Amino acid sequence: MTSLLEVNGLTTHFTTRDGIVKAVDGVSFRLDSGKTLAVVGESGSGKSVTALSIMRLVQEPQGKTVAGEVLFKGTDVLKMNEREVRDLRGDRVAMIFQDPMTSLNPVFKVGRQIGESLMLHKGMSRKQSFERAVELLDMVGIPHPRERAGDYPHQFSGGMRQRAMIAMALACDPDILIADEPTTALDVTIQAQILELMMEIQERTGTAIIMITHDLGVVADMADDVMVMYAGKQVEYGSADEVFYRPRHPYTWGLLDSLPRHDIDEKGALQPITGQPPSLIDVPSGCSFHPRCRYAQPVCSAEVPPLAEVSDRHCAACLFAADPEFVRGAPLPVAAGEGGAR
Amino acid sequence: MLKYIVRRVLQMIPVFIGVTIILFILRAPGVLPGDPVRMITGERAISEQLRAQIIEKHALDQPLHRQYALYVSNLLRGDLGESYQRGRPVLDIFAEKFPNTLRLALAGILVEIVLGVTAGIISAVRQYSFSDVLVTLSTSVLVSVPVFWLGMLFQIFFGIKLKEWTGGAFYLPISQMSSADFPDWVHLILPAITLASVSTAYVARIMRSQMLEAMGQDYIRTAEAKGLTRRAVTFRHALKNALIPVVTFIGIDFGVMMSGAILTETVFSWPGVGREIFLAVGQRDWPIVMGGVIIIVFLVMIINLIVDLSYAVLDPRIRYGGGAE
Ligand SMILES: Nc1ncnc2c1ncn2[C@@H]1O[C@H](COP(=O)(O)OP(=O)(O)O)[C@@H](O)[C@H]1O
Ligand SMILES: [Mg+2]
Repeated sequence: MTSLLEVNGLTTHFTTRDGIVKAVDGVSFRLDSGKTLAVVGESGSGKSVTALSIMRLVQEPQGKTVAGEVLFKGTDVLKMNEREVRDLRGDRVAMIFQDPMTSLNPVFKVGRQIGESLMLHKGMSRKQSFERAVELLDMVGIPHPRERAGDYPHQFSGGMRQRAMIAMALACDPDILIADEPTTALDVTIQAQILELMMEIQERTGTAIIMITHDLGVVADMADDVMVMYAGKQVEYGSADEVFYRPRHPYTWGLLDSLPRHDIDEKGALQPITGQPPSLIDVPSGCSFHPRCRYAQPVCSAEVPPLAEVSDRHCAACLFAADPEFVRGAPLPVAAGEGGAR
Repeated sequence: MLKYIVRRVLQMIPVFIGVTIILFILRAPGVLPGDPVRMITGERAISEQLRAQIIEKHALDQPLHRQYALYVSNLLRGDLGESYQRGRPVLDIFAEKFPNTLRLALAGILVEIVLGVTAGIISAVRQYSFSDVLVTLSTSVLVSVPVFWLGMLFQIFFGIKLKEWTGGAFYLPISQMSSADFPDWVHLILPAITLASVSTAYVARIMRSQMLEAMGQDYIRTAEAKGLTRRAVTFRHALKNALIPVVTFIGIDFGVMMSGAILTETVFSWPGVGREIFLAVGQRDWPIVMGGVIIIVFLVMIINLIVDLSYAVLDPRIRYGGGAE
């Protein structure tokens, strides 16, 4: 059976003055109707570019998807012509961006911006689309939706703008909703409300969600599958249960360890991963995570770890992932401990 | 909004007082050379009786502050006095010249909008293309060319060198617009282009940079993600944002052009407000100079007010006096 979305070996490069940025390097995943895939990773790991590549919105000519396929209901989006892609965008696949302050056009009324895709894809008149925009604003929990539809974005608070963005994305009842860090720019209480809203909407409409975030904690409750990205590559991918409870990649362990936990003293529990993510122009040899990995062995800088299945619906890209002893919290290897890797 | 307009209008009063006082100080005896009676009568000898009459008529024997008070009270009644040289009311003279200036200004603004905005948009949409480089280069040249020099160049080239070819359409003096061979607007072409040259270059540059900036904004990506065509994204979402500063510039520039393009009008002998003031300064015809400057100040302030108000219409983030946020 074909999945709603199947991405194989997606590779997107940017040509810059300093060299070629391998922003996305061979990413593969699938997404079924009504499901949620979480894409996590530190900032700069290629999450946004992955999303933009799926929508074919990577800025040309600097950016180009050079390999892979993006099968939407079995048809390769990367092979579609401009018109076909436009018909998909905003109608079948919609996107919400990180910063609701800047993602809405300041000179158009909110209702008009929401109605725009309805006029485009559903052939509604301006009046019909405005009526529908009012309903959508109501659905995303904006009080007095009729009056607010006539307001401009600057008259909305941050949380309300993100709600309006969600209403805009949902206008055409898309099959897939891609949310690129939708709550990062919002404060914590609003974050929870927005996530709540997205789950509620998914339940009602059955839309599939790709939830991009740098915070694993955000998606713990809502994800069906989790994909962890590091330096443009997928390092771990599997069901949420597997990735959260039986993580096999040291980078995922690092992400989990850096989550604030409420059961222990917070200061003691926070263990951020040391060092900085690498430049995507000069990716380290072998496993790109090895310079920051506490478990790194000499072989790690020589051999590129393949994304290998470690259990049912669970893959990891670590040379030691198959070793049953190599689990989160495993003792540090002797060599690294003595040699003083840092 | 209304409060804002009232406040702006009230702010004009001190500006008027300041401008009129400065002009009065300039014409005080000893500040600039010239006997006002001579200015009126010319070089020929006149009788003492006539001299006294003239002094009486123009209140030249009164102390300066009296003259000022008289002038202001006449001004408030809409009387700008009488020209020394022409013996006609100043208001009549300007009423006659103003339509010419207005026509030239409108033509100039048209050039500015059509050429400047189009060039800026093309330049931005096709960044680094041949047309972009062409626009960038020609605007750099234009902003550094003196207006009067460009005007003369045009006259030499189109008026004299190409006289046969253009059928003498641009032959001087343009001020004799009676030549029935050509429709009126033909005479407008060269002065309008000259008048608009520098501003057109600025408009093109502002338009280009604003457009490029708008195209890089997050809301453009949002619009693309909706599935809009490149065209709709550019001309609906980016252009409306990019136009805001351009419209402001053009509006203010219109005020400047209306206030008499002194250089252009003089070079082309265009019978407008600017040339009239230029001539009056040379003749020390104070009523005309003062009346002209006052009319200009008034026009510029009104136009700036209109520009500011239209800014609020274009950019919803700005609402004067309403206290929306
Ligand atoms: N337009 C661009 N030009 C050059 N490099 C880019 C561009 N957009 C993204 N990149 C690079 O691609 C990499 C991945 O970026 P991104 O996908 O935005 O990361 P994330 O969303 O995970 O924080 C980064 O190294 C970034 O510098
Ligand atoms: Mg991002």
